[in-house]
Amino acid sequence: MFRRVLIANRGEIALRVARACRELGVETVAVYSTEDADSAVVRYADQAVRIGPGPARRSYSNIPAIIEAARLSGADAIHPGYGFLSEDPDFAEVCEAEGFVFIGPPASVLARLGDKSDARAQMAAAGLPMLPGTPEPVESVEEAEAAAANIGFPLIIKAVAGGGGRGMRIVETPEDLADAFAQTRADALALFGDGRVYLERYLRSARHVEIQILADQYGNAVSLGARDCSVQRRRQKLVEETPPPGVPASVVEEMGKDAVRGALAVDYVGAGTFEFLVDDENRYYFMEINCRIQVEHPVTEMVTGVDLVAEQLRIAAGEPLSLRQEDIVPRGAAIECRVNAEDPARGFIPTPGRLERFHTPAGPFVRVDTHAEPGYRIPPTYDPLLAKVIVWGPDRDTAIRRMARALGEFQIEGPGVRNTVDFLSRVLRDERFRTGVHRTNLVDTLFAESEAD
Amino acid sequence: MTAVIEPMDPGRVDQTLEAVHRHATRLLTQAPGLPRRVRVRAGDVSVELEWPVVESGQATTATTVAAPVAAPVASGPLATEETVSEQVSQIRAPMVGVFYRAPEPGAKPFVSEGDLVEPGQQVGIVEAMKLMVPIEADQHGRIVEILVANGESVEYDQPLFTVAPLEVE
Repeated sequence: MFRRVLIANRGEIALRVARACRELGVETVAVYSTEDADSAVVRYADQAVRIGPGPARRSYSNIPAIIEAARLSGADAIHPGYGFLSEDPDFAEVCEAEGFVFIGPPASVLARLGDKSDARAQMAAAGLPMLPGTPEPVESVEEAEAAAANIGFPLIIKAVAGGGGRGMRIVETPEDLADAFAQTRADALALFGDGRVYLERYLRSARHVEIQILADQYGNAVSLGARDCSVQRRRQKLVEETPPPGVPASVVEEMGKDAVRGALAVDYVGAGTFEFLVDDENRYYFMEINCRIQVEHPVTEMVTGVDLVAEQLRIAAGEPLSLRQEDIVPRGAAIECRVNAEDPARGFIPTPGRLERFHTPAGPFVRVDTHAEPGYRIPPTYDPLLAKVIVWGPDRDTAIRRMARALGEFQIEGPGVRNTVDFLSRVLRDERFRTGVHRTNLVDTLFAESEAD
Repeated sequence: MTAVIEPMDPGRVDQTLEAVHRHATRLLTQAPGLPRRVRVRAGDVSVELEWPVVESGQATTATTVAAPVAAPVASGPLATEETVSEQVSQIRAPMVGVFYRAPEPGAKPFVSEGDLVEPGQQVGIVEAMKLMVPIEADQHGRIVEILVANGESVEYDQPLFTVAPLEVE
């Protein structure tokens, strides 16, 4: 195992990783920007290095600064968390070249899977089911029109380099195709410096279901069940749960087998997530692979009893997987709600500010992952995630009641600070959510309904 | 035996220093270039400025300007060589990395304690992954103290130099 791990991240995930390290007897190094000087992980870690000013490109996404901090602190490995440099093949490569273990997949795997078009081609070759679409990037309007005739409408145009809901457009009719194609290419070039796009069938009514996998350096891989992340707003997840409601266990098992096969086909190492869309007939289609620990990983931990971050550390340290597929028996149901410092009444705009009151839920089977506390100043510079509330129950109904109870205990107050607790409670009360028939359009529907009131 | 030290009236010392400071600043603003050295003395009240004079390859012949100040000082010599300004500022690390005082090993340091610097003048280097990031002074002033040894690792925004600012208009 490592002696000292540098955590190249901030917020709740930095604290989450530091805790896993401490349980394994590994020393921790936090890095922080001047905006985060008073953050919890800076106090929690054994060492802390100030790496730059607020803007992430000069601090948390600044490769030379992270590497120098690792050198300065004597770290032997770097955990990238999620976001920032977590899926950057250049960063992974520089870490290895400079003598630090990157806790994640090898740079070559990140490079191949980060290119969505390439990832789809490889997963199709590995036998994973794909939505009708173009296997290669589409270069011209004529090519796009020819492909669209085979795919059908509605379809979605996606940037090869895209992610997180950016750089994509839904096209309803053939007449809109040419404009949407040109615009998405321009957006992709502006956002990612890569104008390549591909086309895919768009499922209007679908569930977002993903499979958690772990793979070691010796060709062993396991799946750890599925998470449903259908409660999204503009593709930003708000509520995640496991097992996915309405998806038969046999289908989840098939998805898990496909994900493991896909992971082994690309020599994947570490924790990863295979995203799928599931249609109303429970047919599933491969979307993409997230090569990092994910925000919603705790729901999987709650039902499997596996500490995914600890497993990441063990795998990166060269240990073989101690888990066999038959050891992984998910039990009960778990839900995660993301509490953001955002104002749902004003289009979810971020509301930075100082917390005067911050009282987190507690009690049986409730876990709260947060870096916030009373007096904490939410900086305007980063994502607005304030806390993740995770609950476990023997069944989904119990878990929903427990989550409603937990959210009711959450008190967050500060001048100008708003939060999503009430909105999340409304989702939990919604009949479609309670019965598990909701799809990825639930949040938009809720907003349309409240405007109609 | 007990030594009795008469405390000076702090207001008068301040006034004297302020007067000396004003003189020094006026002289600096009238000077053709940055002086090599500024010496302010409040005890005997004098201001000395030295300019490097470049003549036929020979550098640093000194020119001295002394300026008398009207305000008398209470008692005892009060030598305040560095107090051109009462407040000091700091030059901080622009990046996390290794701090170097000279452009290369064995070379003359960019600056030493006591040197005068002007805005944009390089005073050191922070190296981050073979990338040499220059550290520059952001105002006129004198290097009072170098806070980090050559070759030491520094964090972002860590103070590297203490500088006594000079007001040059």
